[in-house]
Amino acid sequence: MNAYPRPGGQPAGGHRAAPPHHTRRFDVIVVGAGLSGTLVAKRLGDQGWRVLVLEAGTGTLDTWPGHLDAMNTYYAAAAKVPNSPYRPNAAAPSPDVLDLAGLPEGGFRAHGYFVQNGALPYGSDYLRANGGTVMHWLGLTPRMHPEDFAVRRKFGYGRDWPLGYADLEGHYRAAERELGVAGDAQEQSEAIGLPFPEGYVYPMHRIPRSYLDDVVAAKLDGVPVRESADSPGTTLRVVTTPHARNSVPDARYDGGRGYRPAGAAGLPNYGERCVGNASCVPICPVQAKYNPLKTQATWDSRVTLVTRAVVSRVLADGTGRAMGVEYQAYDDPAAPVHTTHTAEADIVVLAAHAIENAKLLLVSRLAEHSGQVGRNLMDHPVLLTWGLMKHPVGPFRGPASTSGVESFRTGPARRRRAPFRIEIANWGWSWPAASPGSDVARLLGIPGDSGQPRGRGVFGKELRRRLGDGIGRQFSLQFELEQEAEGRNRVTVDPRHRDRLGNPRPVITYDLSDRLKRGMAAAKAVSDRVFGLLEAEDRTVYGPGPFSPGHFRFEGQDFTFNGAGHGAGTHIMGDSRDTSVVDHWQRCWDHPNLYAVGCGSMPSVGTSNPSLTMAALALRSSEQIHRDLTELHRPVTVRTGGGGGTDAASGHVPGPAPSPHSRPHQEVRP
Amino acid sequence: MTTARVPAAAPSPSDLATELAVVVEPPFHVPRNPEELRLFLQAALTLEHLTIPPYLTAMYTLRPGTNRPAFYAVRAVVLEEMLHMTLVANLLNAVGGTPLVAHSRFVTGYPARLPYSRDRIPIALRHFGTEALRTFLHIERPEYVAEPPGHPSVADDEGWTSIGQFYATIRTGLVRLTEELGEKALFTGDPGRQIGPEHFYNSGGEVFRVSDLSSALTAFRVVTEQGEGVSRTIYNTDDLLFGEAREPAHYFRFDELLQERRYGPHDTPASGPTGPALDVDRAAVYPIDPEAKAAHYPPGGAVRQAADRFNEVYARLLCVLEDAFTKDPAALRAAVPTMLELRDLAERLYRNPHPDPEKRARGLYASATYEITDELLDRVRGLLAAPALGPGEAYGL
Repeated sequence: MNAYPRPGGQPAGGHRAAPPHHTRRFDVIVVGAGLSGTLVAKRLGDQGWRVLVLEAGTGTLDTWPGHLDAMNTYYAAAAKVPNSPYRPNAAAPSPDVLDLAGLPEGGFRAHGYFVQNGALPYGSDYLRANGGTVMHWLGLTPRMHPEDFAVRRKFGYGRDWPLGYADLEGHYRAAERELGVAGDAQEQSEAIGLPFPEGYVYPMHRIPRSYLDDVVAAKLDGVPVRESADSPGTTLRVVTTPHARNSVPDARYDGGRGYRPAGAAGLPNYGERCVGNASCVPICPVQAKYNPLKTQATWDSRVTLVTRAVVSRVLADGTGRAMGVEYQAYDDPAAPVHTTHTAEADIVVLAAHAIENAKLLLVSRLAEHSGQVGRNLMDHPVLLTWGLMKHPVGPFRGPASTSGVESFRTGPARRRRAPFRIEIANWGWSWPAASPGSDVARLLGIPGDSGQPRGRGVFGKELRRRLGDGIGRQFSLQFELEQEAEGRNRVTVDPRHRDRLGNPRPVITYDLSDRLKRGMAAAKAVSDRVFGLLEAEDRTVYGPGPFSPGHFRFEGQDFTFNGAGHGAGTHIMGDSRDTSVVDHWQRCWDHPNLYAVGCGSMPSVGTSNPSLTMAALALRSSEQIHRDLTELHRPVTVRTGGGGGTDAASGHVPGPAPSPHSRPHQEVRP
Repeated sequence: MTTARVPAAAPSPSDLATELAVVVEPPFHVPRNPEELRLFLQAALTLEHLTIPPYLTAMYTLRPGTNRPAFYAVRAVVLEEMLHMTLVANLLNAVGGTPLVAHSRFVTGYPARLPYSRDRIPIALRHFGTEALRTFLHIERPEYVAEPPGHPSVADDEGWTSIGQFYATIRTGLVRLTEELGEKALFTGDPGRQIGPEHFYNSGGEVFRVSDLSSALTAFRVVTEQGEGVSRTIYNTDDLLFGEAREPAHYFRFDELLQERRYGPHDTPASGPTGPALDVDRAAVYPIDPEAKAAHYPPGGAVRQAADRFNEVYARLLCVLEDAFTKDPAALRAAVPTMLELRDLAERLYRNPHPDPEKRARGLYASATYEITDELLDRVRGLLAAPALGPGEAYGL
């Protein structure tokens, strides 16, 4: 294939040379070039710091031919799962949702990268490649609800954040600029109660509602539903969801300066507004959806990206300061061959995904004081319900979801059961039943089990008619439930289970609490009411089987849940070094110059898709990392005049790193 | 500025049997009053559109999934031509004109003769290949631009010699009229008709509102410099005008495809491309009849239906554009799904071998014909106006 980028117009932004294995010293090392790592590198590079970004996966996606290769891989894939466009990499393996299979009598079996030994499967994947998991995200960017930050104080479960919505509000806005968010702030404020500064608008106008959204809203808006006979009614309202997806720029943004959408990475002057290609997960053909490569294109040249560099250990000295990292450089993603190098820096930032961050801390035996590393693994367990509407609703057009019902995100019921967000799915039964491919197969008489003989099929006009009639009426709801922090849900490492480069594979122990299962029962009850209001024919079935690894029974009812890809909580933040891994700057309590950023820091995840909050946290941490670095480079002023022996002698040496423990009261939160 | 490169030889017109359609050119003088200026700008709008069907034809005759460097190069040029059309519509609206788009006079028919040119250069709907690329080079050629009519140096000329001269003439007229009448008296158009960046976005430049001489001159720069480049370089001015990546102007992008080699960062028009090789697979193309008409396809056949459908949807696109330029800029939104529909229809149409056995034997395929008649436009307008049908429903979509 050709090099389409012009000579000198190779992947823009940052410095991409041969791995500078001889350049050992940087101001900052960032481990992982996903959303958090890319944003941290962006901010610090812009402030003049020399940043080394080490990415375990390949950089193939940086280029337009790489993007097209991923598109082709996706088109050819039999199962269009989130990682289907991205080529396997034995040196830096990624988990895949296809690694799980349900057993006929219930229970599950896990293959692949994760070792799973919990009662229920952890059903989420991530992607180890330049750009990270955000390459295949849907791109929804709701903010967390203010009450989500204090679930223990307010509702008596889980863990509280050491900061609140107000502390993060400015960073939410910064993240919304960086990601290019399209939304309606006034609607978010009215319908959900999210506080915004007076007159705030998102960079772009909201993504238009789908026809389905309007059909659902016409039946649901203003209707109260009860989730059980004795519960109070909750009023339904269909609310558009903020997206990190190019729509129409809002001229009022930024005090009337407006906003210019960012185009595609890898091809100059290409990239568009969303035109409804309807494959956001796993890949947007026109890159209307944000991905970190767009930010990388604006990196300062002081940022050096090295791909195919798997960090195997964080190095620390005897006083607990991180010195740098040890990493394995490989050439061929298929060959188990590598060379080992070290790189040093004043500050090390782990930004490799919640599970990989925890793995690295565990392998390096760092941040051990609280005993919490790897614990409190969370996700948004998803309950799917599906059925047929009475008339065609035009599914499989536009982003996977453009609106949702936000009425169940908080409230007194949260004391008893997990809260949830409801996403109205624009893509028919694609998630619950792999439509439309499975519909075609079924009508052609091809059974789901390839061992069975093929039945009689319909063809030609009749096939088209039946497909059009059935698929056009498909409708599905996705309930994303909050999972609370529980110490028993955890990531560990076991030297017996390793990958091809000899790095430990994550061993995952996972389960759902009873309060979460009660949340699912409530979600199903709400779904039943909603299907009734819509006069939709409910086709939801939960039972054990190969495609239902997440099946369980609860209080006599069958359920099947899926992972949302929202792995969180393995190095949670808190206000005490005895009970949490990082402080509110995402800085390890035990290591003053080691940061662990990402969803892993979240003590609770609410019901919002977490990427926006993660981005806001990364931007906030970047400010503190900049302050830390500035202090490290500011010499102590030598007192002149009076003999001042020892003070003057130590005055040449840069002062010690600012430690949050030594001066906790001097920290001022924004 | 003359380029030292030998201009591509004129495509031989011998393979075209039909009479070339002629685009009506405004009189050979500098526009003397606002009414003439509007006439000239309408002619510019027609000219910007003239190139779009041939470029689309080259793009759609690339077999899907193959020849991607060529596909993206042609696509980028088409997008910029759409930007130019929109900017010219803004110019015309700014001086109180009413753009005419959905009219048979707007779509001349192909093959047409390249207007504003001394040479007889046919613009035909050709599949991607040497002939098509040579035509494109003629359209976008950066050449010596003669002074506007009235200048002593062109005293002997009786007509236009280049597109560049035509644009320079409109620009001169605009500047003169602004001086004579004042900005307020010339820029009398309804600001509500202007297409802004919120209505149109496809990268490779950005549409902006035209309200005065300064914005009008910027629009002229975009329209002329994206095509032909700036003096003595191969580059356009997207980096200066829009803060975007610097890209070779259209002429040089087409030259890269013809020569199957990239321009490098130090190349000049004189050096030609010396950069890396560019892979063009001339076999992965659907060859077509450059004079195909829908009537050549048997009535009732699937190919005929697909060709008719394509013309209908193209007519609808023109109606949508005219609505956006003359009534409501927000109507431009409907152009996006319409263009995607055209893309899908093209994929379905071009892959069919030509229904005529003789042409099929020559390896030709069916193609879109861009035959836009007033009768067709009336019918499509009627469908659009029918209250029960939204866009697309009339077509079973």
